[in-house]
Amino acid sequence: MAIIGGNNGIILTTVEEVLSWGRRNSLWPVSIGLACCAIEMMHTAASRFDTDRLGIIFRGSPRQSDVLIVAGTVVNKVAPMLKLIYDQMPDPKWVISMGGCSSGGGPFPTYSTLQGIDRIIPVDVYVPGCPPTPQALLWGIHQLQKKIKARQEGKELEEIPVRTPTASFPIKS
Amino acid sequence: MPWIKKEKAEKLKEHFPSIKINQYKDNISVEIEKEKLKEFLSFLKENPEYQFKMFIDFSCVDYPLSNPRFQGVYILYSPQYKERIIIKTWATNEELPTITDLWKGAKWAEREAYDMFGIKFQGHENLVRMFMWENYPYYPLRKDFPKEGIKNTYLPSLNEPENSYPSHDYDPYHTAIPTLQDLEVTQKTRMPEKKAQIVLNWGPLHPGTHGTIWFIFDLEGETVKNCEIILGQLHRGIEKLSEDITYTQVIPYTDRMDYISAICSNVAYVNAVEKLLDVPVPEKAKWIRTMLCELQRINSHLLWLGTFALDLGALTIFLYTFREREKIMDIIEGIAGIRLNSTYMRIGGVRMDLPQGAIDVIKHFIKDFPSKLKEYEDILTKNRIWLRRNIGLGIITEEDVYSYGITGVVARGSGVPYDIRFTDPTDAYDKVDFEIPLGTQGDCYDRYLVRMEEMRQSLEIVKQCIEKLEKLKDDKYLATDNPYVLPTLEETFNSIEAMVKDFNLRIYGEQAPEGEIYSSGENPRGELGFYIINKGEGKPYRLRIRSGAFYNLQIFPELIIGRTVADAVVLLGSLDPVVGETDR
Repeated sequence: MAIIGGNNGIILTTVEEVLSWGRRNSLWPVSIGLACCAIEMMHTAASRFDTDRLGIIFRGSPRQSDVLIVAGTVVNKVAPMLKLIYDQMPDPKWVISMGGCSSGGGPFPTYSTLQGIDRIIPVDVYVPGCPPTPQALLWGIHQLQKKIKARQEGKELEEIPVRTPTASFPIKS
Repeated sequence: MPWIKKEKAEKLKEHFPSIKINQYKDNISVEIEKEKLKEFLSFLKENPEYQFKMFIDFSCVDYPLSNPRFQGVYILYSPQYKERIIIKTWATNEELPTITDLWKGAKWAEREAYDMFGIKFQGHENLVRMFMWENYPYYPLRKDFPKEGIKNTYLPSLNEPENSYPSHDYDPYHTAIPTLQDLEVTQKTRMPEKKAQIVLNWGPLHPGTHGTIWFIFDLEGETVKNCEIILGQLHRGIEKLSEDITYTQVIPYTDRMDYISAICSNVAYVNAVEKLLDVPVPEKAKWIRTMLCELQRINSHLLWLGTFALDLGALTIFLYTFREREKIMDIIEGIAGIRLNSTYMRIGGVRMDLPQGAIDVIKHFIKDFPSKLKEYEDILTKNRIWLRRNIGLGIITEEDVYSYGITGVVARGSGVPYDIRFTDPTDAYDKVDFEIPLGTQGDCYDRYLVRMEEMRQSLEIVKQCIEKLEKLKDDKYLATDNPYVLPTLEETFNSIEAMVKDFNLRIYGEQAPEGEIYSSGENPRGELGFYIINKGEGKPYRLRIRSGAFYNLQIFPELIIGRTVADAVVLLGSLDPVVGETDR
């Protein structure tokens, strides 16, 4: 985007850029909660973390939404229904896999649990944690926004930089 | 102690000479042959000397080497004498008589036994699978079925690029997932014939169903003529999984069952194991447990209030209660280190000592919270819409409570004073002073009032705990001198004995004596019981989880028939199930 002439109110841009800007700042997820992670997802949406300020508004219908936050354990029985919901969402659509269970089975390597939702639907961002804190989910959403921006610029977001703490200190009272 | 006395149980031999009576700790179990089971159970239910009117649990145990192979275990409770009893019987030819005509609550428990073990119940009205879908060929809880299931479907990851090394250790072969046709068949078998105009599916992925419960309504206009519930959309196989790991390793799974009240589930499980292993708990740990349990109860009821009000269209309350919930979550995070599934309890105590300043924060919360509670009540209790939608809906009678095995707030809302904190006090509950609120009508509004009052009572308990904990500042919080208790991190790093003990317990598990135990705790959702059978190994032979929400939800179809669909949302909210616990 380029602004011309200071206060003249003229902005030069491309259609792709506007679309990408609009998409990444109004991510509307489907309100589906599966298990423990759904509680943390509700906390992210509720008063303290308040995702509304990022333009994230939970929708009741998959037809109105463009992000699927898979929050919780997906068991074999619910997998075809989740696929159905993903298929009902209009393009472009993205998937955030929230928590260990949906990313890779988590602590449930059993007969009834799906070992990772990437076996049925493609995933854009994996958020680690069991369950991830609301801050972690917000991090995941920001990564998705970066990814949408990178794709518009013709790049693939190859590697998501993760900053790990190098030293830890006890909290002083 | 709420178990039948041995002398009283011996008297049963006058009427049924063939029974065998076993005792482990205070648990009394009676074994009877299958032919006389129905007669014996109805005797226990009707006889004025016993009056075991309340159905607690039914489950099965698999002994692959014995003949007959399966054993049915019934647990009953007598509200009159405040006693429990366990009745066992062998299922010859893999068949058992149904007891749904004696207790309606056995309907789902028998379906579950059929689903997990393949035992047929003669006379059951509609014996279908409880958790898995129809056409599922195996019986998962049998001992010869592997924990991982049969991996016979090629289901590779869509995110992994082809012809390259996978980014993590994963198997492209997976257990079979059902097709949509399979689910259609499942739905058809639940409701074989359509009686009214239209069949409406509600759920499983609907925000109003509090998780993933699948409801089928048979509608005449807007009135529900018939209703069925399909569970199993969150069946993760915790019971199967825990047969393969040590007792300490099961603790994190109890968090993930009832994730809204994780600490209460932890405490209920840890108490059962401590009873089995005879581990004493230090005084300080008892008080910490009680305090955190009650904080978690407030937390859980706040979530219930928020989502219940949200379902009824009051969005404001949802935002208000989540504000308070964040405060409690911060307290729990400060004490345990993790917000939601904290795994703070250990066998023989708690994981860490209370950190500095924890008591001050809780004190502040106690001072602050009553005004917030009043705020919620000002908005809701006399609200005209709230009254219209709640009063007179879903009336549960005392008979229903006993017949369905309903526990927790739902039972107390109907005026039944059944509270594990009172009948079988664990931890410090026998030393604190609190009241049990009871409803009069048994409708949704009563359950709302009971929960609101319970939050106040929990606050009183927390106050008493804080007074006590201030005196117990430097006490031990983990009974590490017991052979079954894991040493603390500091001890493990600083002494070789503790390190060896830690290694042994983590690798070989707690080598408990042979025995079995049923112990329960008062969850916000009802009685959460653990029936553990130990065969002298470091892991449970069978761990049956008696879920409160599972039995509470069972009454839903009976209550909704004749009402409208709009009432279903209110009724479900007031029963307050959590799918992680109903499905396990």
